[in-house]
Amino acid sequence: MIGRFVCIAVFLFGSSMPVVTFASPEIPGAPQTAPIALVGGTVYPVSGPTIEGGVVLFRRGRISYVGRKRSFPAGTKVIDVSGKHVFPGLCDAYTNLGLVEVNRVRASVDHAETGQLNPNVRAQVAVNPDSELIPVTRSNGVLLAATVPTGGLMAGKSAVLQLDGWTYEDLTVKAEAGLHINWPSISPHDEWWVEGTTASRLRQSTQALKALQQAFDDARAYHRSRLADASQPTDVRWEAMRPVIEGELPVIVSANELQQIQDAVAFAVRNKVRLIIYGGYDAVHCAAALVEHEVAVIVGNVYRLPRRRDDDYDAAFTLPDRLRRAGVKFCISGSGRFGAANVRNLPYHAATAVAYGLPKEAALRAITLSPAEILGTADRVGSLAKGKDATLFVANGNPLLTATRVESAYIQGRRVVLSDRHKRLWRKYREKYRRIGQPE
Amino acid sequence: MSFSSRLVVVMCLVACGFQQVPLTGHRGAQARASDNTQPVAGLRTNTPAVYALKDVRIVRAPGEVLEQGVLVVRDGVISAIGANVPIPADARVWSRPGITLYPGLIDGFSELEISPGDRPQGAHHWNELIRPEVRVADRYQSKPTLNASWRSQGITTRLIAPPQGILKGRSALVATGDASRAASILEPDVALHARLTVPRGRGRNAYPNSPMGAVALARQTMLDANWYQQAWSAFRSQRGLPRPDQDLALEVLGAYSGSGRLVVIDAPNELYALRADRFAREFSLNLVIRGSGREYRQLSAIQALGRPVIVPLNFPKPPNVGTAEAALNASLESMRHWELAPENPARLSRAGVSILLTRSGLPKAVSLLAAVRKAVQHGLAADAALAALTTTPAKLFGVEDRLGTLHAGKRANFLLTDGALFATKTKVLETWVDGRPYENIPARNDPAGRWRLVGQQETRPLLLDVTVAGEKLSGAVRRAENPDAADAAPATPLLRLAAAGDRLTAIFDAEAFGQKGVARLTLVLFKKEKWSGRGQVIWPDGVAEKITATHNSPTRPGGGANREKPPQPAVTQSKPKRVREPLRYPLGAFGVLQQPEQPEHVLFKNATLWTCAQRGILRNAEILIGGGKILSVGRRLRTPPGTRVIDCQGKHITPGIVDCHSHMATDGGVNESAQAITAEVRIGDFIDSNDVNIYRQLAGGVTSSNILHGSANPIGGQNQVIKLRWGALPEDLKFVEAPAGIKFALGENVKQSNWGDEFTTRYPQTRMGVEQIIRGTFQAALDYQQRWRDWERQRQGLPPRRDLELEAISEVLGGQRWIHCHSYRQDEVLALIRTLDDFQITIGTFQHILEGYKVADALARHGAMASAFSDWWAYKFEVYDAIPYAGALMHNAGVVVSFNSDDRELARHLNHEAAKAVKYGGVPRQEALKFVTLNPARQLRIDRYVGSLESGKHADLVVWSKSPLSTFSVCEQTWIDGRRYFSRSEDLRRRESVRRSRTRLVQKILASGEVMLKPGEATPPDEQLWPREDVFCHHHRHVNGHD
Repeated sequence: MIGRFVCIAVFLFGSSMPVVTFASPEIPGAPQTAPIALVGGTVYPVSGPTIEGGVVLFRRGRISYVGRKRSFPAGTKVIDVSGKHVFPGLCDAYTNLGLVEVNRVRASVDHAETGQLNPNVRAQVAVNPDSELIPVTRSNGVLLAATVPTGGLMAGKSAVLQLDGWTYEDLTVKAEAGLHINWPSISPHDEWWVEGTTASRLRQSTQALKALQQAFDDARAYHRSRLADASQPTDVRWEAMRPVIEGELPVIVSANELQQIQDAVAFAVRNKVRLIIYGGYDAVHCAAALVEHEVAVIVGNVYRLPRRRDDDYDAAFTLPDRLRRAGVKFCISGSGRFGAANVRNLPYHAATAVAYGLPKEAALRAITLSPAEILGTADRVGSLAKGKDATLFVANGNPLLTATRVESAYIQGRRVVLSDRHKRLWRKYREKYRRIGQPE
Repeated sequence: MSFSSRLVVVMCLVACGFQQVPLTGHRGAQARASDNTQPVAGLRTNTPAVYALKDVRIVRAPGEVLEQGVLVVRDGVISAIGANVPIPADARVWSRPGITLYPGLIDGFSELEISPGDRPQGAHHWNELIRPEVRVADRYQSKPTLNASWRSQGITTRLIAPPQGILKGRSALVATGDASRAASILEPDVALHARLTVPRGRGRNAYPNSPMGAVALARQTMLDANWYQQAWSAFRSQRGLPRPDQDLALEVLGAYSGSGRLVVIDAPNELYALRADRFAREFSLNLVIRGSGREYRQLSAIQALGRPVIVPLNFPKPPNVGTAEAALNASLESMRHWELAPENPARLSRAGVSILLTRSGLPKAVSLLAAVRKAVQHGLAADAALAALTTTPAKLFGVEDRLGTLHAGKRANFLLTDGALFATKTKVLETWVDGRPYENIPARNDPAGRWRLVGQQETRPLLLDVTVAGEKLSGAVRRAENPDAADAAPATPLLRLAAAGDRLTAIFDAEAFGQKGVARLTLVLFKKEKWSGRGQVIWPDGVAEKITATHNSPTRPGGGANREKPPQPAVTQSKPKRVREPLRYPLGAFGVLQQPEQPEHVLFKNATLWTCAQRGILRNAEILIGGGKILSVGRRLRTPPGTRVIDCQGKHITPGIVDCHSHMATDGGVNESAQAITAEVRIGDFIDSNDVNIYRQLAGGVTSSNILHGSANPIGGQNQVIKLRWGALPEDLKFVEAPAGIKFALGENVKQSNWGDEFTTRYPQTRMGVEQIIRGTFQAALDYQQRWRDWERQRQGLPPRRDLELEAISEVLGGQRWIHCHSYRQDEVLALIRTLDDFQITIGTFQHILEGYKVADALARHGAMASAFSDWWAYKFEVYDAIPYAGALMHNAGVVVSFNSDDRELARHLNHEAAKAVKYGGVPRQEALKFVTLNPARQLRIDRYVGSLESGKHADLVVWSKSPLSTFSVCEQTWIDGRRYFSRSEDLRRRESVRRSRTRLVQKILASGEVMLKPGEATPPDEQLWPREDVFCHHHRHVNGHD
């Protein structure tokens, strides 16, 4: 995986790039002043049963009531959403949002730090709040996203974002969600872009695994020595790993192959760290170990090809439901393909899992509450429940269906603009054709 | 034949002084001084070279056996052979009962090392991979150690081919004797060798850098060779014409078309064999296929070619299935190949294919004979194996008058074996090349057994027990208890035991014999009827005791002599059973036994029909198909008796999905990227029917796909529209009615913006240059046409050369070839439209066309159609303005719009993409579905055949569980030409079959005891590793490489 990245980096970062400044003109939502009640719609709290003709009331950015009762505090702005549907904001648990604008414009790419051991880098601080990609994502109901560093064996720490705000701090729901590890590939995976011989890659993997264990040993030793004597000189890498060593911060391991996943679980148990698997293609094969050690899986992409020649054609489509049946905690991410630009398609990944067996409720949960639970943000987001952030949207149908339109959205009670670069260009060129007399 | 009787011959040869023929200046025993031109230095030698072998079993030719006969060799040639042949008086005679003679084996293919760039000096072809002027005969050097290694496997003759290039040069047939080079080269010019591909990693500047480019170059070169002859004959017959450039390669190649001279083309897999045949037919070449060992996968197709095949014996190790994790990664294909590869020669032979066998491709440790024997164990008839190594190559290489059988007048090339040649334990004792014998195992007396040593001092004899294990001798000595006793006192081990020449020597501790110190033993051995020996023991005290030795029977295996052999795993080593299971194609998972049946009539009823035609969406409707076509669409259709009825209650039926931009199912490399214009390159040369993505996309409702060249150059290669007839061969996948097309490309990819800093010189580097090179090429094609018209009219001057690149462009100008142009920005789109307008060309499609929405009016005016992505954007700078509303905007402007995949995965749910046209811009649902059915069919100009549900069109349709635009919908059945190529229920059965086959094969591998591949040991064949996507269009993978 590491090797592959290096190889691709050459493609990506090859030539001199124009310096472009990107700033989306969409203005962040104003703080909620009066209570807002969304009334009459079908409410999907996710954490509870669906409420027909329900009410969602929120004030000062927090949900204060979900139910059917139609009594509101004075000054409540009551919005009739009859015939509409109200959902908690969708959350993609693995993206590079804010860290990249245009993949092949090197100047705009900030998600992959150089070197193998980058536990100290934090995605949060490099998020560009003015990225044009953010409003595009938001427009389809994806209001939350983890943004993830990707470079090296230990890539750094991801942050959970809400997709509205003036600064990265405004956007931050959780500054540190997990420490990301790109688990070395163990089984030969022969594709044209993979460099070197299989044997040399296996050797590299073995070395990388050693380096990984060494890093944890070193970090633990550092942690102990700092506990014993706070005046010890600082090492920013091991300093950054202390919450992992303490078990406060999970490691999120990118792994798809069975042996990778098994090894990662054994590693986590041995090093007493909390583990989340990202990717998880083979996770069902070792479901019992995942359940026993409470390891959750972020399904990295439903729209993907079978990894092996012999696999069922729908292996990736059925993965979420197979995980559900096996009792593994999971959520669905739409990441991996097409970069950060199409995080908006997250609901269709979940929908495809529905077509291939996953119950609809489970699919909705897999892109709302489950990612929040896995990323440790369920106290604030993920469902429509009293006390949580009013991060939600109103749509004219089921967001898992393509034709459904998101009609309004709120992040912490702030009504967010649903315009974006695409709609602006659309409007611009509709005007061109209007002027030349073309019927719409 | 026992070891000792072999010794008779060896010792006789030694006695005759024969073995010591000096190597220097030796021209083979057959060559007399008068037969060559070299002056004699020193004395003239006239040693007679006449030999007779009698009392031998002679296999004269496959199936032609003399149980007891005589073979007479005179001057390197068989002078007489038969049951009762008189033995000439001047012959040296050996009686060899128990020995069998076989004709010398001919290895069908090996390669010579010639260093790169080592072409003969002179007028080279411009491309270094075109080197037919290279002759192995000019480079060959006879190496005694190498020769000995060939001879030890019974090979007396081998074909040596040049190793490098596309048109690689010409092979020679050489003898493996240690004669001079001149005498060893039997035929200097046997065949032209070609390999219609290039290795990966040739770099982005070296044309060709793809298999497609390799074929295109070979094709153009063959045409050039014909032209070269015409041009020179015109030049010679007409004064005043410009002189054509000299070209050694073209000069040589001119002799091959239609002449019957052999052309050996490498076929690295079974599909390449079919491609080689197509190429050979195109140029009337007398083709020999150099096979891969995978021919069994397409046996009937290869049989139908009627071409001889040089078959390697590179039987694979089994994949690693030792652990559950490893077994998960072992493909069914690799396991089946392990099981079936040893049957490949047998299957080819039984099918009547003319086969030659070769050692080529075998690991060093495996001998040809061991591999042939394995093939024989797996069903190859022994006579067929022998023919494949003797008569077949002799005939093919045009030397059957001299080689291949043991008949009078042929060269004296033969083997002496101690049993049936293809029996496991048989040894090739000697190999005779051109009448000269070569021992394969160095001569050594075999002293195994008990020796009785009677001395002068003791009446009780010494008993010497000698055992031989391989090359190792061991033994012990002791004193017999009484003169006749067989049992004896405790034995003293013999040290430094050696048998050199006619001498047996050893030392031993004399303590058991009553002396302190070391005793030395020397025996000189004599053999008459039985062994005897004379020698001495020198005791520690210096006394030399003369001894006489007699020999008893050798120690038999099992008597403790075989202790070095490792214990065999507890595995039954019975004769392998022939695999009876019918073969699926492709061989790996989900392959099929045959094409699906085409029922006479099928009625789909109670369905919601998305006709994509004037009738729109019909609920509770019926569609009747028959003979591969749609017969009628509507309600209450009249059906012929026997119609198969499929109830589609609650289901939706749409036309088959047409993907207007794909790179799957090709193993030709997608991009020939080393030149800016590669119009001569054809995707159609490299359709890969083994690509499982065909099946995976069928499961997403795709029935037709436009396989395009990549976007590395302004004018790329020719595309190929296919139907997804899973299990059919490449030619049968082609959508024959589809008109020809070609890939063009604009923007960042062709100006190498993202290739890396070293790519800054290939023209063009700007969009300005792109416009000019395309314009210039159109003009060149016009000039080319003019030149041909002039020639047709006047027939004066040098004849014009056919130029496949400009011919393809001419077809574009003539409206017979449609442009599919990769494009993004509005300026480049507009500029191309203006260029095309100037040349009166209508474009086929703009591909990607992500800013097409900005110039939709210009597109519509030109008649350009747009094949776009639904919602991709921001993966590179030129797509930062891409918007998902583009489809709707262009559609509303009257442009025919499709959404394509350009991606093996996305193609599996193009219906989801169509739905985005509804979401972004509100295209009506029926129209949105047309974005992936009728509209791409229109864009590919195949809408007369596919794209909608209308009577008369091909019965290509998809049954969906729900509305095709719903993300909750599942493709349940996919029909092409009225055949059901995919269904969910059949797929479930196939999964079960895959699971069963895997289980069976894992068990078989574990039970075989064979050494499995270690992790990382196997490297996938090159053809599997050619990209199936456009590497210059980098939207496919996430930057950190997760798929």
